[in-house]
Amino acid sequence: MTLRVNFPNVCRQSITTVIFICGVIGSWAITGANEKKIEAEFAQQKADAEKYFQKKVVPFLKTYCLRCHQNRRPTRAGVNFNPTFKAPGHAAFSELWKKAVARVDAHDMPPDSSKKQPTAEERKIFSSWLGKVKYLSKKDPGEFVIRRLTKTEYGNTLQDLFGVESSIVDSLPDEVSGEGFLNSLSPLQMEQYLAIAEKVLDKVLSSTDSKPTPFQKKWVGESPPEADARKAAQTIAKSLAHQAYRRPPTEKELEVLLQVFDLGRQKKLNYLASVRLMLKAILVSPQFLFITPAEEAEAGIVPLDDHQLASRLSYLLWGSMPDEELMKLADRGKLHEAETLKAQVKRLLMHPRSRALFDGFGAQWLGIGDLENKVFDSKKFPQMTREMRSAMVDEVRLLFENVVRENRNVMDLIESDYTFLNQTLASIYDLEDEVKGPQMRKVKLTDTNRGGLLGLPGILAATSFPNRTSPVIRGVWVLERVLGDNVPSAPPDVPELEPQSEKSTEALTLRERTERHTSDPVCANCHRILDPIGFGLENFDAIGRWRDKDDNGKAIDATGELPGGKRFSNPRDLKSIIAGRVDAFSRNIVERLLAYALCRKLEGYDEIVVDRLMVEVARNEYRMQELILSVVTSYPFTHRRIPKERNSK
Amino acid sequence: MSNGILMDRRTCLKGLGASLALPLLDTMGWAEAVSGKASKPPVRLGFMYMPHGVIMDQFWPKDAESFLKSPPPALDSLRPILEQCLLMKGISGVPISPYNGAPHALELSTWLTATLPDPAKRSEVNISISADQIAANHVGAFTTLPSLELATMPQTWKENQEGLNEAYYSHCSFRSPTQVVPAEINPRNVFNRLFNTKKKDGKTAGLSSLDRSMLDIVLGGAKDLRKKLSPTDKRKLDEYLDSVRSVERRIAAIEYRQKEAALEKAGVSSSKRNDSDSPPIEIKIPEGDKRSEYMQVMCDLNILAFQTDTTRVSTYIGSTPNGVSYPELGFSNQHHSQTHHNGNKEKVDKVAKITAFNIEQFAYMVKKMHNLKEGDGTLLDNCIMMWGSGLEDGNKHTRKNLPFIIAGKGGGSLNTGRFLPDVKGNQGDLLTTLLACMGVPLDRPVGIATKQIKEITKSV
Repeated sequence: MTLRVNFPNVCRQSITTVIFICGVIGSWAITGANEKKIEAEFAQQKADAEKYFQKKVVPFLKTYCLRCHQNRRPTRAGVNFNPTFKAPGHAAFSELWKKAVARVDAHDMPPDSSKKQPTAEERKIFSSWLGKVKYLSKKDPGEFVIRRLTKTEYGNTLQDLFGVESSIVDSLPDEVSGEGFLNSLSPLQMEQYLAIAEKVLDKVLSSTDSKPTPFQKKWVGESPPEADARKAAQTIAKSLAHQAYRRPPTEKELEVLLQVFDLGRQKKLNYLASVRLMLKAILVSPQFLFITPAEEAEAGIVPLDDHQLASRLSYLLWGSMPDEELMKLADRGKLHEAETLKAQVKRLLMHPRSRALFDGFGAQWLGIGDLENKVFDSKKFPQMTREMRSAMVDEVRLLFENVVRENRNVMDLIESDYTFLNQTLASIYDLEDEVKGPQMRKVKLTDTNRGGLLGLPGILAATSFPNRTSPVIRGVWVLERVLGDNVPSAPPDVPELEPQSEKSTEALTLRERTERHTSDPVCANCHRILDPIGFGLENFDAIGRWRDKDDNGKAIDATGELPGGKRFSNPRDLKSIIAGRVDAFSRNIVERLLAYALCRKLEGYDEIVVDRLMVEVARNEYRMQELILSVVTSYPFTHRRIPKERNSK
Repeated sequence: MSNGILMDRRTCLKGLGASLALPLLDTMGWAEAVSGKASKPPVRLGFMYMPHGVIMDQFWPKDAESFLKSPPPALDSLRPILEQCLLMKGISGVPISPYNGAPHALELSTWLTATLPDPAKRSEVNISISADQIAANHVGAFTTLPSLELATMPQTWKENQEGLNEAYYSHCSFRSPTQVVPAEINPRNVFNRLFNTKKKDGKTAGLSSLDRSMLDIVLGGAKDLRKKLSPTDKRKLDEYLDSVRSVERRIAAIEYRQKEAALEKAGVSSSKRNDSDSPPIEIKIPEGDKRSEYMQVMCDLNILAFQTDTTRVSTYIGSTPNGVSYPELGFSNQHHSQTHHNGNKEKVDKVAKITAFNIEQFAYMVKKMHNLKEGDGTLLDNCIMMWGSGLEDGNKHTRKNLPFIIAGKGGGSLNTGRFLPDVKGNQGDLLTTLLACMGVPLDRPVGIATKQIKEITKSV
């Protein structure tokens, strides 16, 4: 069994559950009898969880918590357990349970002033609740709320549709994509959409028939005789809206576009100018700016229609609208078929355009989106030029893409004997004599301390301060980004370490200074877990160069121990300990990718979904393409819940 | 950790060394004025933000008496116009429990809402309409732009605090509880948006009356789409509908302005401003990438927008609560890391410098406003400009006495030139008072407000 860091507010399912389900599922397409078995199993787990809540959790709450956290005012810290008694599995309470267990685990709650204190056994019983509460969630894929295209997606879509540069959208405000994506639209953005539409049409349409642009030739053709004008406009609207709306337009939608064409004619615009106005209407329509369903659907849970699926898939993997092949499959209603879908996912992943998956998801996951613009202390690190920083990001990207395209085991991201370098970046590795020129290329590594994310200069630099390393940030990075643990933020009122040059700390190594964390009991709880991981990477300086001595000229001590007694003495050891935690690592990728793909936080039933996906992932030997495939064929990715209309409000 | 602004600024400013020309402005009057020279200029409301609080003993004046003569070091740049300024100590922020682990994620988003996000929907945006947008709803119809939102840094910080939606980190304006108003960071875009400048071929870039009619039809189609959507989808689409309508209104306002200006030129209308009013200021976009120069252009745009009555409400997020550093001040440390100084002198000094720097930019703006004539007084006389932070002390994340500076007399409604050392009230009370000074009728107080802070107004 793999080692689990026992963090104050980490919530995890128990490993035994995974192994248990493991025995039940047979093939990657869960169907028929198997499905029934799983559902029966799920029902049993649900019943058990309900019993556990009534028998174990409720008494605990009543004895230790309710005195302060109940309905009666004032409720302490806004925490009230009364509403949970009726519906403990409600998604609204998932945050509450996590925090409550974290506080109880950390002996923060009940407060020391309280006379009644739970025994260690009781605390354990309460914290096990976290592993069970998920079984109370209803089977629910979540809503697929109509989603606005992100700035990047919008730019790429204009590029695919009109052949303009995607930078045409640069004036839009930058935004976060994936989980945390805002999905709102302000008047400012609307105005910009209008202005960008104008710019696009200026580029792709000439003002007369005489010098038609390639776009004009393909989509518009020559001006027809007056009698056929409306009909010709309709043909254009039909074919272009099909592309732009990423689904066939409805009759009504076509009629709206033709009304715009008519408006142009009424205002004495010529045919071409009227068509232009109609195209502009397409570009500011909600059907273009949002991913929308074509058909009305009853409240309840329904599979995505093929066009929605095509869009969701294409925007996830390519960051753009579905290409011709995907569209054709969606038009024919074939895309959702398991084998077809699988083949399409593979095709999209093998194409260079799947770089969008790194730019959108990978860079965010690994926290290196800001590295290219990060400012380093230019006196200490003059080599951190823009060129260097972008080579560092490229190296991370190429490793990620290699694992995807060659369908490697995800653990290649942790331990690999190759990397990607150009001459600039090779100087960080002391390999500048072997790697010449600006081109990034695959390079075999002999130094086993290198290779894998933990030895990449890009990651090491992104997790450092402008002028020195930070074992704490690196420790947090490994726990959160690699192992998927949730590290609580530092309590308020915590000073940072003094720079090494200051008198009081001059004689100490960074390690010795950082170890002060563990002498203060408030800090010690977390830092005894965090810091050692960061110490294990201390041989890499703030821009990822190998060093044996630190800024004070003292020898680096990169030894440490992880909870559970695993000892390491250098980055290589640390990597191989982490490499042993393939379940945690791959689960982290699955969770993050699923949240990114759904553009929302995972909660409630999603945890059950992830449990099941992990069984598939393990069976497929943790290969990256299969992992991605599991995510995009998962229940919440391929289904949506349509909520009931509420008449009361 | 990003200092992206350095690059963004460089890219957007490249080759823009020239000053930008204003179309049609010298003849524009107040939008709602009917006739006559005696019309009173409207009150404008502007907010400017700095995160992480201040070094308290360098910010608060010693006492009411010494305020004008020997102001504290942080206010040094405001010395020439302290008579137009108002400081009050004792305004508390929104208590952030149950989000104790998110002191910075909520600094900015509680600043103008005086409200906490809905804990049950913390991963989505669900807070309340912000004070600037309340004002914009009231006076926005008079101007071609209901409100102006500016920022120095992109609003893309990703950091999970207490499971809160990341948008809370870097946004201060909310059009509705769920609709964030993004800010513009590129000065040229701001200029184009304010004055709807023409393209090379003489056509206006979008926003024509033909566009308005086209949008009308699209809006009709969107309503058809709305019918077949789920309730949640409907709410999403409503944001779209609302934004389209707002663009339509804006086109109408621009057309109205253009018509007025044309009549004015022909000598027909007389809704002219006083001849003694200062001409519109010039906007010069600098070549370099100094933070101060960049912030000053944004301030200039804000001034110009107010001066020309293009908008009456603005917010400027001068800096965001994330790894921002100030290379211009000679050190590379990040603002946030220095605020956790624990009394260390070097860090205290750096925070003081950063604070003074931010107040200097605010001072640049209000001093300039003070030098522009308008009606019987100055532009600043008719403005309420508020500078402030969402924390009192970044070291301990306290919010008891939030630092605010108010400049401008709000059209005569504010009693300035004073420091009030012991005011009792909260952030919501303050915002409610300012909106009242602007003449915005409120159907309910802003956020946690329970009263107005009468001590700052003229009527007391």
